[in-house]
Amino acid sequence: MKIINKIILGSAFLVSISFALQSCLNLNEEVYSEVLAENFRPGERDIPAIIAPVYGSLRALMMGWQGHFDVQEESADVIVTPARPNGWYDGGTYVRMHQHTWTPLQWQPTNLWNSSYRSVTTANRVISQIEDGEIQISEGREEVIAELKGVRAFAYYLLLDNHGNVPIVTDFRDVSLPEQSDRTTLYNFIIEEIENVLPSLSQDANSTYGQMNYWVAKTLLAKIYLNAEVYTGTPQWQKVIEVCDEIIAGGVYSLDPVYSDVFHWENQNNQEIIFAIPYDEIFGQGNTVHMKTLDPLSRFVYGMQAGPWGGNCAVPQFIDSYDEEDGRLYDTWIQGPQRHANTGEVVITYRKEVPSIAATASNDGYRIGKYQIKPSATGSLDNDFPFFRYADVLMMKAEALLRTGNGSEAASLVSEVRTRAFANSNPAKATVSAAVLEGNSRYQYGYQNLDGSIDLDSGVIPFGGFLDELGWEFAAEAHRRQDLIRFGVFQTKSWFNHRPHPQAQDKIIFPIPETEINNNPNLVQNPSY
Amino acid sequence: MENFTKLKSIVAIGLMLTFHFGSSQTYASIMLDDSRSSDGVVEARAVSSMDKTISGTVYSTEDGLTMPGVSVVLKGTTRGTATDIDGSFTLEVPDNGGTLVFSFVGFETQEVAVANQSVFEIKLKPDITSMNEVVVVGYGTMRKGDVTSSIGGVKEEDFVKGAVRDAAQLIQGKVAGFRVTTPSGDPAAGTEINLRGLNSINGTNQPLILIDGIPGTMNTVAPEDIESIDVLKDGSAAAIYGTRATGGVVLITTRKNSEGRNTVNYNNYMSVQTIQRRPQLLTGDDYRRLIAEEGIAYTDYGGNTDWIGEMLQTPISHNHNLTFFGGNSTTNFTGSINYRDWDGIFKRTGQERLTVRADLNHSMFGDKLRANVQVINRVIKAARGGADGYAFRQAMIRNPTDRVRDEQGNWQERDGYFYENPISRIYEYSSESRNNEMRMSGSLSYNPIDDLDLKLLVSNVQNNNIFGGATTFSHTDTWLNNRNSSANRSTNAYNENLVELTGNYSKSIGKNYFTVLGGYSWQDAVYEAFEASNWNFPTDLYTWNNLGAGAALANGQAAMGSTKNKWQLAGFFGRFTYNFDDKYLLMASVRREGSSRFGANYQWGTFPAASVGWRISNEPFLKGVRNVDEIKVRAGYGVTGTIAGNPYLSQISYNFDRGQGAYVGGNWVQGFIPTRNFNPDLRWERKLEYNVGVDFSFFQDRISGAIDFYRRNVNDLLYNFPVPVPPYLTGNIMLNAGTMRNEGMEFLLNFTPIKKGDFVWNSNFTYSTNRNKLVNLSNEQFDVSREFFNAGGTGEPIQDYTHRVEVGGPIGQFFVWKSVGVNEDGLWLIENQEGEVIPITDAVPEDRQFYGNGIPKHIIGFNNSFTYKRFDLEVNMRGAFGHDILNFQRMFYENPKNIAYNMLNTAYDPVYGQRLNSDLAYVSHYIESGDYLKLDNVTFGYSFPGRGIMQNARIYASGLNLFVLTKYQGIDPEGVSILGFAPGNDERDKYPTTRTFTLGLNISF
Repeated sequence: MKIINKIILGSAFLVSISFALQSCLNLNEEVYSEVLAENFRPGERDIPAIIAPVYGSLRALMMGWQGHFDVQEESADVIVTPARPNGWYDGGTYVRMHQHTWTPLQWQPTNLWNSSYRSVTTANRVISQIEDGEIQISEGREEVIAELKGVRAFAYYLLLDNHGNVPIVTDFRDVSLPEQSDRTTLYNFIIEEIENVLPSLSQDANSTYGQMNYWVAKTLLAKIYLNAEVYTGTPQWQKVIEVCDEIIAGGVYSLDPVYSDVFHWENQNNQEIIFAIPYDEIFGQGNTVHMKTLDPLSRFVYGMQAGPWGGNCAVPQFIDSYDEEDGRLYDTWIQGPQRHANTGEVVITYRKEVPSIAATASNDGYRIGKYQIKPSATGSLDNDFPFFRYADVLMMKAEALLRTGNGSEAASLVSEVRTRAFANSNPAKATVSAAVLEGNSRYQYGYQNLDGSIDLDSGVIPFGGFLDELGWEFAAEAHRRQDLIRFGVFQTKSWFNHRPHPQAQDKIIFPIPETEINNNPNLVQNPSY
Repeated sequence: MENFTKLKSIVAIGLMLTFHFGSSQTYASIMLDDSRSSDGVVEARAVSSMDKTISGTVYSTEDGLTMPGVSVVLKGTTRGTATDIDGSFTLEVPDNGGTLVFSFVGFETQEVAVANQSVFEIKLKPDITSMNEVVVVGYGTMRKGDVTSSIGGVKEEDFVKGAVRDAAQLIQGKVAGFRVTTPSGDPAAGTEINLRGLNSINGTNQPLILIDGIPGTMNTVAPEDIESIDVLKDGSAAAIYGTRATGGVVLITTRKNSEGRNTVNYNNYMSVQTIQRRPQLLTGDDYRRLIAEEGIAYTDYGGNTDWIGEMLQTPISHNHNLTFFGGNSTTNFTGSINYRDWDGIFKRTGQERLTVRADLNHSMFGDKLRANVQVINRVIKAARGGADGYAFRQAMIRNPTDRVRDEQGNWQERDGYFYENPISRIYEYSSESRNNEMRMSGSLSYNPIDDLDLKLLVSNVQNNNIFGGATTFSHTDTWLNNRNSSANRSTNAYNENLVELTGNYSKSIGKNYFTVLGGYSWQDAVYEAFEASNWNFPTDLYTWNNLGAGAALANGQAAMGSTKNKWQLAGFFGRFTYNFDDKYLLMASVRREGSSRFGANYQWGTFPAASVGWRISNEPFLKGVRNVDEIKVRAGYGVTGTIAGNPYLSQISYNFDRGQGAYVGGNWVQGFIPTRNFNPDLRWERKLEYNVGVDFSFFQDRISGAIDFYRRNVNDLLYNFPVPVPPYLTGNIMLNAGTMRNEGMEFLLNFTPIKKGDFVWNSNFTYSTNRNKLVNLSNEQFDVSREFFNAGGTGEPIQDYTHRVEVGGPIGQFFVWKSVGVNEDGLWLIENQEGEVIPITDAVPEDRQFYGNGIPKHIIGFNNSFTYKRFDLEVNMRGAFGHDILNFQRMFYENPKNIAYNMLNTAYDPVYGQRLNSDLAYVSHYIESGDYLKLDNVTFGYSFPGRGIMQNARIYASGLNLFVLTKYQGIDPEGVSILGFAPGNDERDKYPTTRTFTLGLNISF
């Protein structure tokens, strides 16, 4: 009996403690530092935050480390990143960009793919959440969806231009491995998407700065038509003219009389900017164009709160193509002696010459100064990046006119754009003739030897004069690769330490990233990669 | 079989469940074949022609206390009895006497001739054969002879001596298959541990470390405060710990006052350290010679600075440990104070540590209720400068003709990419960190009836950290980034609770002995952290102590962050052991465990285990064989798990993120983004392990040891799977997607080659080998599959991955361009995929191949201790064979191409007959054999005889990491991380390993 008592006592001890521990079976994870989907009921005021990531990824994509800017500029004839005494060989990545010897492992186009699809997938996600009622929007639902689809079309345009044959994904809920589309299908998809959303897009440019609106969509359409021949084999010059005419007639945008103001650190809401990718040194970081281009010593010139890295610079042949009285030569490039902000001492003198991509001095080559560096700048600039601006619309129309035999009308548009560039030096030079635009380029194409001499490649470039105008106007605006391809220069010409690639025609689109080929067996690599 | 309470206090083994030992006579190590172990037998027998009655008392030589329950048998008969609670016995014996056999578990059996004697005073000696040693197993202890799984244990007297960092280093090289290395020479760094290969990709590979049953780390208690360390290696042993046990379980038992002794023990040592091996760089004179003779365009600033020498110091460290034992058998106390102040070989590095422990035991109601309270408080402080791996890199690459300071006494800075004065970094940055850990635990054990023990264990651990760091106006950051003093402060707090309830019942019926364990365990933990930074201070005198004074906060540039998470783990467990006649052993256990880290459908899992053993040596056919003490074969199977390392992984949740924000509607807003690609079906990894082994002991234990073979399959590997973008949002999703296998062999041999008079030589040899294979990497639900993943990175400017783990292959393989020569242009010649030799400039990624593996195939430990009279000498060796190391130091610094940086003095030496003129590149030339044999620890000691109140004293001198036999050209072939998926990368930015010399003193009063 005694034993039984003890067992009872012991069991009671066990049971009472077990009861005390009942609460200790709750295994729900308490979430503190994340927002649980089930606890968040988004309302109207959350809409900006919900759609923001669609744009947010464009910031890193455009001016971030090895982003879109580098993809468009380093593969072309205006900007090069040569090895410096402090590095900048980086396993040959810049040499590959310059010589078009990139592989599916090349990071820059991979980065572009990832950022573009991040916008695409984010747009898909938000669209499906709105459609499923997870996000309740009482008013303006159609407009929000149209905007999202518009940005998605923009992201697909980047993929169309750079990778060509990519999967089209529009449904977030479908996670099956997507099939690849060819470039023409993608082209048609984007055109159709834009046409569909246009009626629902806002025409108020002021309240939609930095966002997809009616005018941005129209400019995007013009841009795609401008390159239609590259994308599909069929040119669409007439459509370029029609769309540009509508934008011009809209009267919403105009040329800024001061060229440099378009790129100023306070360029927000500039009259010329149609689609900006806004940056802010605090809230919207990521514009690091100055960090990559300036020598570390330039930090003293601007009293910078960061040490620049000292990498890319202008290709000397391009600098040589400028008219010396063209204001854009000085608005775009930092050159000559640079003085300490406080002492006035010369800290570095940037010279035009760049001996080779393999080895340079720290002061070789003019630096990108288009995006003006504000005093005490940090590692991240305030300047918004003008992805589309009004001058671009004028020049697109001019090119379409020029190519459809309307040289004089084209010349007057180009002259209009040139006016401010010569306003302070020699206004007469602003006017340009159709013959010049149709004629050969002033750019001395050819391979540059170590001693600076050029193995001249004097073959005539059709409409080379017009290509020059694009170069001067849009230098360091991530336009050049696309323009060179359209004018055939990308595939055929030598410049600096670049010679035409043996499979040059295949290099006009980038390879599908190796990681994506590995992850999605439905993808077929682009030719010759 | 009653009244064992007193006996239990004799065989006291801490407060864990002690029933295994005391309760059965079947445990007597050697029983006569015809003996009956039950007490009733003799009394029941009809008394025949008994001529005389003898009586006596049995004592233990260990503590002099009486021993109840000792079997007393008249040899050659079935006649016998057992001692009562006072250790007394009476027995009728024939007139002509005979021989009495006294036997008891854990003690040597004694035979005494009766002759004419009628009163006996018997003293039983503890049986010291290895099979009777007590080993700590999950939730209890077991006699080693009864263990049916793979467990390694090391006792205090066999620990590694000298300046050890933590508990793991105490058993370095002593437990087969349990690899301990010290890849960093930083005095604040710990050890790296690996047991039976890599078993998880994203979960932890670390073992569960329990200090007296409560989870902790290898430095929770001071090494001097540890009595024994046991390692549960295989799944059948570890499965009782469920999801925390895949990396094995390490059970640390602290020193306890078991016998009511009253002593004070003081332990002190001092040590000095030197760098293990110094990299030989070009000197200033070398620069001038190369400029003059070869026209190499170095800049000569005229000086001759030994930058590494400027960075190093010869640190003196000291350690003090004071331990008190006091009380009696019902109430006793153990207290210890441990203080250590260690400095590192880099200037301004070091760490101070104070650990105070108090352990109080009390027993009541005739030992039916026992209570324990333990408090461990540890304070770790480190006040340091800016000497780190990056500063070491700067010392390696800095121009040796340059000077440390200019004429004005300012730091000499130069422009350059990642090129900073290392000495200025050391002196112009300061930090202070303080870690406080308070552990409180209490337990109550209650025996309502004999053989049943109920126990409640509760504990609370609070770990708090606070850190502050700041640069001065003279720091490079001011020169480079115009940031005038930059300071940050961070703090975090971790609070963990444990409640465990166990019931243990044991019983012997005839030759059957069984134990049943049942229990419940609850753990929860909360982690909270906060950090803030600021810069542009009006003065650098505030350091981190007036963070608001910086301008960056006002400008909106300063950063701030905080986070919090919590996890819970609940488990029910049970274990059954059965022993028949000391020959056949069975153990079966199961744990049902639930974790909050997984989605609702996958929170609970079951972890069963079973093992069997056969003590062949106790079979009749081996029974009488001389020189065979023990042969036991055993086999086991067990399932353990691994939990995802991070919180919230199975949640569908979002975050506001500034980086994904944008300018929308005329305002800057933060982006509302999903935190991850969602996978609410996440569950834990399951490891299924088979283990077979043999334990043996021969020649009166002169030779003993164990051999184990195992295979472990880890299923449902947690892997951050690369998924295509689109359709996924981001490029990775955490999935259960794969199977990994490890199989191997472990061998342990303890032997005593010489035992002659005053001279004893004891040896211990361990060997282990492991083979690893990634069996597959796929997930059907998400329809993803992968053939390989890449791991490791060279860092810039090479910017390449170093390893590839391929399905069907092992972890640790280097994946590299195989260099086979150098051409006349000084370019590497690479063997391409077709086997042709091409210059590196033509090589493509597809030309890479597998070349060597960073994980050793064979690991040995060879430990010897010699004692002669009062002298003792220990010589420990360790080795690892069959592996390769990527020597980053040579890859970056043994190449003359980039003259902006200094290099090794071998950089201009011809490679394949040519001077290199190739960019820095990752090629197989830099992958070297990492095989080594290390004379790791030599300790020489002398013990003084006790005198007056001094019971004993010992002085010793010790050297750690003394001598290495290796072809490896880097600093230390063992100073390389063995964990993760890029093992064998001897990184460029490092805190080099050291050689340590120690002088120590040990006194007891």
